[in-house]
Amino acid sequence: MEKKTARNLFIWGTVICTIVFIWLTIDTHSTIPKRTNTDKLTDEVVLGKRVWHKYNCNDCHTILGIGGYYAPDMTKVYSTRGETWLKAFLKNPETPDPQRRKMPNQGLSEDEINKLIAFLKWVDGIDTNEWPPKPITVAKVTKTPIDETLQLLKGKNLYNQHRCDLCHQIGGQGGIIGPDLSKVGAKREKEWLFIQIKDPKSHNPNTQMPAYPQLKDEEIQAMVSFLAGLK
Amino acid sequence: MTYESQKIALKYFVISAIFFGLQVILGILLILKYIWPDPLIGILPFNTARTIHTNLLVVWMLFGFMGGTYYVIPEEARTEIYSKKLANLQFWLLLLGGLVAVIGFLFGWTAGRPLLELPVELKWAIVVIALIFIFNVFLTMKKTKNWTAIQGLLLGGIVMLAVMWLFGIPFFKNLTLDYYYWWWVIHLWVEGAWELIAASLMAFILLKITGIERNIIEKWLYIEVALVLFTGIIGTGHHYYWIGTPEYWLWWGGIFSALEPVPIILMVFDTLNHVRHRKIEITNRLVLYWVVGCAIYHLIGAGVWGIIHTLPVVNRWTHGTQVTTSHGHMAFFGAYAMLIITIIYYALPKLKGIEKFNQKPGFWAFWIMTIGMTVMGLAFGAAGIVQSYFQRGLGMDFLVVQEFMKPWFKAVFFGGLGFFIGVLIYIYDIIKLATTKTV
Repeated sequence: MEKKTARNLFIWGTVICTIVFIWLTIDTHSTIPKRTNTDKLTDEVVLGKRVWHKYNCNDCHTILGIGGYYAPDMTKVYSTRGETWLKAFLKNPETPDPQRRKMPNQGLSEDEINKLIAFLKWVDGIDTNEWPPKPITVAKVTKTPIDETLQLLKGKNLYNQHRCDLCHQIGGQGGIIGPDLSKVGAKREKEWLFIQIKDPKSHNPNTQMPAYPQLKDEEIQAMVSFLAGLK
Repeated sequence: MTYESQKIALKYFVISAIFFGLQVILGILLILKYIWPDPLIGILPFNTARTIHTNLLVVWMLFGFMGGTYYVIPEEARTEIYSKKLANLQFWLLLLGGLVAVIGFLFGWTAGRPLLELPVELKWAIVVIALIFIFNVFLTMKKTKNWTAIQGLLLGGIVMLAVMWLFGIPFFKNLTLDYYYWWWVIHLWVEGAWELIAASLMAFILLKITGIERNIIEKWLYIEVALVLFTGIIGTGHHYYWIGTPEYWLWWGGIFSALEPVPIILMVFDTLNHVRHRKIEITNRLVLYWVVGCAIYHLIGAGVWGIIHTLPVVNRWTHGTQVTTSHGHMAFFGAYAMLIITIIYYALPKLKGIEKFNQKPGFWAFWIMTIGMTVMGLAFGAAGIVQSYFQRGLGMDFLVVQEFMKPWFKAVFFGGLGFFIGVLIYIYDIIKLATTKTV
């Protein structure tokens, strides 16, 4: 091959590839409204995206799999954690375990939290060609939803609000400091669970689990109903 | 050195080396945050440290490329640089911009987009600096109209670099489109514009050290950059699998990015071939090591590590894990860090009129850096495989899996510490060479 041929190859090849790429870009744009639900892309969502940028969240967390790998991916966080959990966590991300990787408290205002959650809710709806993939094993567990009566729902929300998941796992979600609660309803009586939450040291004086004196008895009852249903 | 104005390159090289060192210090801080509870969380949290780490990388590489260009252009165009004043002004502006950015990041002044954290004001400042650079380089070439492929492609690379940068400036309301055009900067820089610049600079060095005819070197240069752009432009699609863009990107991206190693294999073959059939004796053995090392590491880090997880069936599980970190570190080191070091080791002695110098530190730096980076890359890769399996495959909680990855993070730390020692030797050597008094 002569140098001139190589040069023409370079010029025309680049031009053709650029044209194909631009054509694909135009076509991609035409699919964006449907794939990303742009009708739900409200001003609040956009303001939420600005909050996301303002605190540089993306350099610890990935979203759509892009960003820092230091903290969990945010693409599906809305549907996996739920609004109650997100609100509680964003207000106070502290964890009781000093060994655990921490998220600094960003001091977000109520308004900022709501906007950020609106943004995450919208992101959750993006058609990502089924990414992140469904795990091979826990797909079975998550497919059978717990029968959510009002009492159970209250218990579940309390479980989330008080961040029990930092130490305990249910269906593969949560920490490993405390025991896995996925099947706790089959192992423990309701009375036992009630006492464990009210005064953990009564069962085991050396337990690491803190007491929760701020919980009312009826709230503990709701959590017990929720936990007893996990079998 | 034949032209007085080539001397401008000197200060670009020195700053490039120093910023490289700072980048690695930040890198070590980052890996420590993965291993132990972070005592600096209140002053320098992970996100800020990562911002500084990655932006310093970009800045030291820009200093390296710009210095390299100012060294190469006068020799290729056979004339002095159009304006030494502008080249100096551009240097100080970039240095000032870099320092303002780092201090700004420490105080939370950020645009909050990964790798493009520069606030919009500073992004426009970069545009101004790039325009000064393009203007100065273009007018130098225009003075003699002695067009060569090397300078043509170098100019093309710089212009492409500036044009793609513009797509990183606006605020996008839609996250999917945000990332669609984010990749026009990130991907089309590293697999487009930077490749053009790097390939041209490498061709220049091969031309000078081997004495092979210009026609042959430039012919290969054209073929390589042609293949780089054929595969690289549409290969951007390997970033469009999971961000909300249509499914056909799995095919376009998969096929074109699978071909991306082809030009890199060609570069290795071509480099070795030129070196083997050299017409003149290579006196600067150190440069020869970095040239060949660069070609081979480019192939491993960018080519092999890239193709391993570019196919959609693999990427579905590895996307957003430490596998990407492994690839990123090894590819940047092989493709660009080693290239810039090559140019500096070639050009710096010439600028100072040094015929022979003690190459021992340079060789130590070569081996320590290469081995350190390999340890880091493999350890990041192992951490990424653990993460892909337990987190994505078994669906375990993110933070639980991070605990399983800690042994590998510790290996990254030791590799990184070794790498840092190599970098310190390199900085010491560069500063020593740059400050040598010559008669």
